[in-house]
Amino acid sequence: MEKSVDAIMPGLCARVVVTEGEKVSSGQEVAVINCMKTEIIVNSNFDGVVKQVLSKEWDELQVGDPMVILETSE
Amino acid sequence: MVSRVLIANRGEIVSRIIKTCKDMNISTIAVYSEADQDAPYLQQVDEAVLIGPANPVQSYLNIEAIVQAARKTGADAVHPGYGFLSERGAFAEAVENAGITWVGPSPKVLKSISSKSYCRKIADSVEVPVIPGTLGLVARTDEVVDYGVTNGWPVFLKLDKGGGGKGIERVNGVSEAEKALQRATRIGEMAFGSGACYIESVVENPRHIEVQFLADETGNCVCLGERECSVQRRHQKIIEEAPSVVVTENDRSLLFDRTVRIIQKIGYQGAGTLEFLRSGGGNYYFMEINARLQVEHPVTEYLTGIDIVKWQLLIASGAQLDFSQQAVQFKGHAIEARVYAEDPETFIPSPGTITELKFPLQDAKIRIDHALKKNTSVPPYYDPMLAKVIAWGTDRVKATNRLNKALSEFQIEGVKTTIPLNLRILQSPEFQNGTIDTNFIDNWH
Repeated sequence: MEKSVDAIMPGLCARVVVTEGEKVSSGQEVAVINCMKTEIIVNSNFDGVVKQVLSKEWDELQVGDPMVILETSE
Repeated sequence: MVSRVLIANRGEIVSRIIKTCKDMNISTIAVYSEADQDAPYLQQVDEAVLIGPANPVQSYLNIEAIVQAARKTGADAVHPGYGFLSERGAFAEAVENAGITWVGPSPKVLKSISSKSYCRKIADSVEVPVIPGTLGLVARTDEVVDYGVTNGWPVFLKLDKGGGGKGIERVNGVSEAEKALQRATRIGEMAFGSGACYIESVVENPRHIEVQFLADETGNCVCLGERECSVQRRHQKIIEEAPSVVVTENDRSLLFDRTVRIIQKIGYQGAGTLEFLRSGGGNYYFMEINARLQVEHPVTEYLTGIDIVKWQLLIASGAQLDFSQQAVQFKGHAIEARVYAEDPETFIPSPGTITELKFPLQDAKIRIDHALKKNTSVPPYYDPMLAKVIAWGTDRVKATNRLNKALSEFQIEGVKTTIPLNLRILQSPEFQNGTIDTNFIDNWH
């Protein structure tokens, strides 16, 4: 099934550090949010494979906005 | 004389610049992004122009949009404030090419001094000591290794075009040199468009001492005193004061003399600041130039009675300084506390909406620079600074007590603020004894 890794803080997307097709483990850094000029690291909460990267640098983000879609085996 | 100024910035500094413009009968134009539509200063200006979405790249960093707003509104000058495009040579150039006065040093000077290595060479050429390190750039691992082996580890790799503490790499020994250089270069290319690095050695127990100056087009340069900004976290200042408790009369003359030598060599005009590091041993090293109005300028305004923004506008209009160094008097003591929208323990940012707001009493001895209003939003897209509280006293103890009282009475709800941290610093024995260095706050955590 598909699960999303979401923005945990509002701000701007600084970067997504995974690419489509990449294996991701729970707890791994997936993206970085720039909130008030501070970099906030977004970790994945589950294992999976990156299906789609939704965010790109400078995108405006609100809490809960999906940044990366993972295909999980659960 | 300029008569219609566009302020290319946001937040408290816009309110600050408007105030002086009103005193000088200059009309004002603000620009704003979609995230700042409810900013209180938009009601105080003669005209306000929406320049783009919240994303600063499309608004406050958008040269084309700002120059277009200046043209459309008939501005005859642009004041860039601090941060954003304030030190960007290309912006100054675009403003001047539109036939509009740039309030700041010339585009040519801005472009040259954007290179730290250039500034270090200039300082060295007029016999001003720089932080020990390389004057020129290093490109290869063996250059880093040679320097470290000869001068001792650790060394710091710094980006020639860097800023905000980004890309500074500590190298503890030979084995770390290659990776550190690669990392710094990559960050530099990504963040600043240049990965060029130079080397600096460690300065033990450094204190941050800076000199505010004004320089006009005839080369006349007057120093408005030093500010001590050693209370920092993540290379960002929290508390600033003047005079510094460690700067003696002799130190002051030496710092003023060095400042004038560097500024005249560069051919800089306008207001600016030279930053120095003072080692635990009492040596002063030139660090860098801030080619803009600084956040902490009110501290100097309190001590000297000189309106720095007014002089920026006068110098940009071609006026010459009408007072000498000897005429600058320093009265009493001033301290500024920056209030950030952050958790005071973890420094995690705290954007949101201000639900409750109560200011302390403001009088001749307490100044609050801000752009706050109840129910306004504190957007997550920009700097976390909410307000500056500045206190003056006949001595340091009186200024500290007054600032303490004002901060205790300052009520901001809806977002977390660093007021508890500011109070903890002001009440600490280290601050009160003046025995701090730039590691003071980091050592608490």
